Amino acid sequence: MSRIRRLLIANRGEIAVRIMRACRELGIETVAVYSDADAEAPHVRAADRAVHLGAAPARDSYLDGRKVIAAALSAGADAIHPGYGFLSERAHFAKACDEAGLVFVGPPASSLERMGSKIGARRLMVEAGVPVVPGETPADQSDGSLAAAIARVGFPALIKPSAGGGGIGMKVVRTAADVGEALAAARREATASFGDGTLYVERLIERPRHVEIQVFADAHGNVVHLFERECSAQRRHQKMVEESPCPALSPAVRQAMGQAAVAAARAVNYRNAGTCEFLLEGEGEAARFYFLEMNTRLQVEHPVTECVVGVDLVHAQLAVAGGAALPFTQDSLSQRGHAIECRIYAEDPAQGFIPQAGRLLLYREPQGPGIRVDSGVAAGTMVSVYYDPMLAKLIVWGETREVARLRALAALRDFAVLGIHTNIPFLLQLLEHEQFIAATIDTGFLDREGAALAAASVTELPAAALAAVAEYRRTAQHSGTPGTLGTDPFLTLGVWRV
Amino acid sequence: MSEPVVTPLGEDWYLVDDGERRWRVAVAGAGDTQWVFVNGQVATVEIPTPGRRRRKGGDGGVMSPMPATVVAIRVAPGQAVAAGDTLIVLEAMKMELPIRAPRDGVVKTVACAKGDLVPPGVNLLEFE
Repeated sequence: MSRIRRLLIANRGEIAVRIMRACRELGIETVAVYSDADAEAPHVRAADRAVHLGAAPARDSYLDGRKVIAAALSAGADAIHPGYGFLSERAHFAKACDEAGLVFVGPPASSLERMGSKIGARRLMVEAGVPVVPGETPADQSDGSLAAAIARVGFPALIKPSAGGGGIGMKVVRTAADVGEALAAARREATASFGDGTLYVERLIERPRHVEIQVFADAHGNVVHLFERECSAQRRHQKMVEESPCPALSPAVRQAMGQAAVAAARAVNYRNAGTCEFLLEGEGEAARFYFLEMNTRLQVEHPVTECVVGVDLVHAQLAVAGGAALPFTQDSLSQRGHAIECRIYAEDPAQGFIPQAGRLLLYREPQGPGIRVDSGVAAGTMVSVYYDPMLAKLIVWGETREVARLRALAALRDFAVLGIHTNIPFLLQLLEHEQFIAATIDTGFLDREGAALAAASVTELPAAALAAVAEYRRTAQHSGTPGTLGTDPFLTLGVWRV
Repeated sequence: MSEPVVTPLGEDWYLVDDGERRWRVAVAGAGDTQWVFVNGQVATVEIPTPGRRRRKGGDGGVMSPMPATVVAIRVAPGQAVAAGDTLIVLEAMKMELPIRAPRDGVVKTVACAKGDLVPPGVNLLEFE
C-alpha cells in the first residue's frame, strides 16, 4: 500500500463534504459521485471531480457497487472512502475494491464478514472475553433445565421463542416463583405462533444506556481505543443527541470498556476506524456493560470524539488506509472537556416526525467558539425523500458538560432553517429537560417522552416575527403582488403554525 | 404596545424593535406562504392573496387559523351574514384577529364560546 493520491467518496451529504475537507487539508484530490437528485448538491460542488452514477433511488446510484467502482477507475482514483451507510459495511464491496486494485478506506472484507453476522460476532466476543448479554438456548428444554438456565443468566430474565420475533411469546420473569407459569405460557404461545416451542432465555437489561467505544487499528498491529460516546437519546433506534464523556462511567468501567473494545477489534483482525456498541446497566462503579455489535466504519457521531480527544479521525483513516502506522498511541490519548452533538433532521416533530421534503429557502449555521457544524446542505438545496433525512450535525465543545449544553442551546437558537420543518425546536426542549440536565436518559427515554417533548416544542412566536413578515411582504420582489397587503396584514393572517 | 420598528439587515434578515427588546428575525418564501424564524423557532404564515380562496377551511365552516383565545362572538345561529362580515374575534400574540365570513350565508351553529382557547384548524362556526 502507498499514500492515497486521489480518493473517490462513495457517499453524499455531510459525511462526503467532511471527508473532502480532510482530503483538501492533506493534498488528496477528491472525486464525488452523485445521483440524478444530487447534481447540484454541496458534496458535488466541493469535489475536484464528479461522476454521475444514475437515478435518484439509492439502489440505482449510491448502493450500486459496480457503478461506484467503475466511476473510481474512470476518474483515476486509487482509493474509495465509503463513509457510513450505503456500501460501507458490505464485505463484497470491500472485496470488489481490492480486486479492482482500489484501496478501501475501512476494515478488510474478512473483518466485515465476521462482525456482520450477529450470532457469529457474539460467539467470537465470548471467546475473546468480551461481555455479552447472558443468554442461552438449553438443549434440554424441560422446565427444570430452563429454570436452571434462567438462574444462570440472572433476574430479571426474558424468556423468548427461539424461532420467534416481534415480541410474541416473550415473558419477563422477575423472581424464581414466576418461572413455572411463564415457561408454560411462553411455550404455548411459541408453539401456536411458530410451530416450535423451543425457548431462549436471556438477562433483561432494564433502562440501559447506549455507550459505544471508538477503536482504531492499523496494519502494523497497533490497536487503540478513543474512549466512549453516550448515545442513549435515540428515537426508534435513530440517534438524536450524542455526547462524550458519558456521565455514568467511572474511570475503572471506562478503562474496562476500552480494553474490551480493543479485544473485540483484535479478535477480528480489525483495521481502520470502528465502534463497539455496548449496553450499559446501572452507573458508576456498579455499572455493567454488554457488547451489542461492532460498527465497522466511521460513525455519524465521530466528531464528538474528535472534539474531546483532539484528533482528526478521517486524517487517521486516510493515513492508515495508505499503509502508515496510527498517528497516536494509547498513552498519548486523553479526554478533555465535554462535547455534545445534535443531529439536525428534516423531520417535523409537531407532525409525528414526518420526514420533510422541499427547498431550503434560507439556511444559516451558527458560529462561535466551540461550535462546529458538519452539513451537506446550503440555501437553495432541494431536500428529497430519497435519502436519510439528516441535514447537518451541530457539535459543540465546552470545558464542562453544562458549558457544552448551554452552548448547544444557544447555537440551536441561532440555527436558521426555513423552507422545511426540522427537529431544532424539539432539540431545544430535549436539552432543557431535567433528565437531560441530570444525565439520566436511557435508550427508551425518547420513545416514552418524545410526544410530550414534541408538544412542548410548539410555542408561540413573538409578535415581532409578524412585523418582520409584514415588512418582507411589503417589498415587491418577494410577494409578487406588491401593495396588496401593505395596509394591514394582521387582519388577514392565515395559518400560523409553529 | 408601541408600533414595532423593523430594520432590514439584508439577505432576508430583519431587526425588530418592539419597544421592549430587539429580535433578529429571518423571513423567506414567496407567494401566500412565508416562513419565519426567531430564536430557534420556526413558523409558516399563510396570507391569502385577495381574490383567491383560502386553502384551508371548507365552504361549510370557518376554521381557527392559529392557537388563539375567542374574545367575542358577533353572530348567532340562524343569522344571515354577508361576505366579509366579522363573525368571531380571536386574540393571539396580543393582537385581535377578526374572523370574517368567506361568503354570504346563514350561520348554522357556533362551535366555540367566548374565552375558549382554540388550537389551529378547528371549526369555529358552521354555515347552512
